[in-house]
Amino acid sequence: MTETMASTWVNPDLGKTPEELLVERSTRIKTAYAMGQPDRVPISLGLGYFSAELAGVSHADLYRDWDLQTRVLVEAARRYGPDETLGPWHDPRPSTTLGDRMTRWPGWSLPDTSSYQFDEHEFMKAEDYDAFLSDMSDFAIRTYLPRAFSELEGLQYLPPLGMSLFGYYNIILGLPAVGAPPIQKALAAIQKAAGEQAEWIGMSVAQAQALAAIGVPPVTWLGALTEAPFDFMSDTLRGMRGIFLDLRQRPDKLLAAEKKVLDFQVDYAIATCRMLGIPYTFIPLHRGSDGFMSIEQFEKFYWPQLEEMQLRLIDAGITPVVYYEGIWDQRVEYLARLPKGKSVGMFQNSNMKLIKETAGEAMCIVGGMPNSLVRSGPASAIREKTHELCETLGKGGGYVMATYVNELEGCDPDMVGVWVDATKEYGVYR
Amino acid sequence: MSQALIDAIAEMEDEKAVRLAGELLGGGETPLAILEDCKAGMAVVGDRFERGEYFVPELILAGEMLKQISDIVKPHLTQDGDAPKLGKVVLGTVAGDIHDIGKDIVNFMLDVNGFEVHDLGVDVSVDRFVEAVRAERPDVVALSGFLTLSYDAMRDTVAALEEAGLRGSVKIMIGGGTVDDQVRAFAGADAFGLNAMDAVNMAKSWTTAGVA
Repeated sequence: MTETMASTWVNPDLGKTPEELLVERSTRIKTAYAMGQPDRVPISLGLGYFSAELAGVSHADLYRDWDLQTRVLVEAARRYGPDETLGPWHDPRPSTTLGDRMTRWPGWSLPDTSSYQFDEHEFMKAEDYDAFLSDMSDFAIRTYLPRAFSELEGLQYLPPLGMSLFGYYNIILGLPAVGAPPIQKALAAIQKAAGEQAEWIGMSVAQAQALAAIGVPPVTWLGALTEAPFDFMSDTLRGMRGIFLDLRQRPDKLLAAEKKVLDFQVDYAIATCRMLGIPYTFIPLHRGSDGFMSIEQFEKFYWPQLEEMQLRLIDAGITPVVYYEGIWDQRVEYLARLPKGKSVGMFQNSNMKLIKETAGEAMCIVGGMPNSLVRSGPASAIREKTHELCETLGKGGGYVMATYVNELEGCDPDMVGVWVDATKEYGVYR
Repeated sequence: MSQALIDAIAEMEDEKAVRLAGELLGGGETPLAILEDCKAGMAVVGDRFERGEYFVPELILAGEMLKQISDIVKPHLTQDGDAPKLGKVVLGTVAGDIHDIGKDIVNFMLDVNGFEVHDLGVDVSVDRFVEAVRAERPDVVALSGFLTLSYDAMRDTVAALEEAGLRGSVKIMIGGGTVDDQVRAFAGADAFGLNAMDAVNMAKSWTTAGVA
C-alpha cells in the first residue's frame, strides 16, 4: 500500500451520531467474539495511562482527580474512535485503606509516571495447606487477610468462625471478642474501603456514560474476573516460588486446593455475570505459558482445571475471555479443542499465525500488534503490519485488533492514529 | 566426589540430597568437595533446562536444595574455594518496574553456568546501574523489564552508561515482557533474549570471545 492511497481514505465514522457509533462498534466486537465476520476488523484500545500521556499529565494525576481522568480518557477516545476502550486500572484508595501488601500504585508507592503493578508474596505458607483444605473460609478470614492487609491484622483475634454455628451461646463469649479494638479497627477499615470502592464504581458508571456520549463503548469483557485455579493458588497465596515447590513437593495437596478454588470461582462468576447482566468472564493467565512448566506438569496441574472452568462457564451461557499471557505456541492444541466459538483468546507473545491456523476455528483471537512498533513506528511499517494482520488473523472474522498487552503506555500518539486508521481501512470485509 | 549426591540433585530428590550432604560432612568429607558435587548436580539441572526437559519448578527446587546444603556446609568452610568465573554480570530490573521473576531465573542460570552475578534487584535507578558498573567493572550488563514502560528506562540506562564513559567496556543485553529487536534498537542495547538460556549463551559468546 502506498502513502498516496492512504491519503485518499476517508474515515467512515465521520458524520455518524454517537448512538449509531455505539451500536455499530459494540456489535462489531460482539460479532467477532462470537466468531462472526463483522463489517470490518474491530479494534480495542486500552487507552488507560496513555490518555494521561496524551494530555501531558502523570499517571498518578488520573487517580488524584477523577474529573481529569474522565476528561482525558474521553478526549483520547474521541481522537482515535476505537471500537471499545478501557480506562486506567482501578483506584489506589481501597488498597491504601486496607494496607494492601500486594499492589503498588503510581503516585502512592511508585513514581507518578509508573504503572500499577502486582507485588507477589508468599502469604500462604507450605504448612498452611492442611488448614486451607480443612476450613478454607476460616483460613481466609483469620490467617490470610491479616497477613495480606496490614489494616486487617486484627482479624486474627476472631474466634474460630465455626463458633458462629453455636448460635445464641456464641453471643456470650464470641461477640465481645468482636468488640476488641484490633478487630474494630479492621472492621472500620473494611467499611471505609467498601465506601471508597462504591464511589469508584459510581465514577466508573459516569465515565462509561461520558464515553457512550461520544459513541465509544467500554471493553466488552468486563463481567466477572476469575483465575485459572493454578494461578489463583499462585498469585495471591503461595507466590511463584511456593507454588512451583508445591508442584514438586506436595502435588496432592495442590491438586486438592485447586479443586476447591475452581468450584467457588465458577459459582462466583456465574452469579456475578447474572447480577451484572454481562455474559463474559475475564480470565488472565500467568503461569500456564510455555517455559514455566513442562507439558506433563501442564496436563496435570494447569490445563484440566482451566478447561473445566471454561466448560462450566460456557455451559452457564458465559463466554470466557482468556488472556493467554506469555507464549502458548507449544500448548495451542489444547486451545483448539475448546468448544467452537464459545471463548475468546487474547494473546501476548505467541506466534499469531500458528494460533490462527491451529485455534482459529475454536476461538476469537485478540491481539497481534507489537507494542514496540506502535511505540515508535515508522508509519509505513505500522500500515504494512496492520494490513498483514487484517489479511491473516482477520481472515473469515473472529478477530479483534489490539496490541500484545492491550495497553499503549509510552506510544507515539501519531503512530497510534496511523494504526487505528489503517485498521479501519484495511480491516473492511468485502 | 559423591555421585549419589550429584544424582540426587539432578533427579530432584531434595530430601535425599540434603540428607546425603549432611552424611558426607559427618563422614569427614570436606565442605569444598560437597559444594563441588552440588555444582556438578546443578550443571546437570542446567543442561536439562536448556534441553527443555526441566522447567522453572525444577530450577526453583534445585535452588532450594543448594541453599539448604550451603546452610549445612558453609559454617564448616575454612577457605574461599570459589573457582574462577567465566565473567561478571551486573543484572537488574530497570527503574519503575518491580517484576523480578524473569530476572531471578536469569540470575540463577548465569550463576550455575559459571558467571559472577551482581543482582541489583528491582526498580533500579539509572544512577545505581552506573555506580555498579563503575564499581564492579562487569563484562555484561543485563537489563530486565516486564512493563512496556520499561523500554524508556532501558534506553535511559544505556544512555547514562554512555555518558559516564562506561558503555564501551560492557556488552548490554535486555529481556523480559514484550522485548524484541525493535526494543533492543530503541534502547541501544547489544542484544535481546527471550529466555534465561539466551542470556547465558549471549554472556558466554561475549566473554569467551574476549570482547570485554
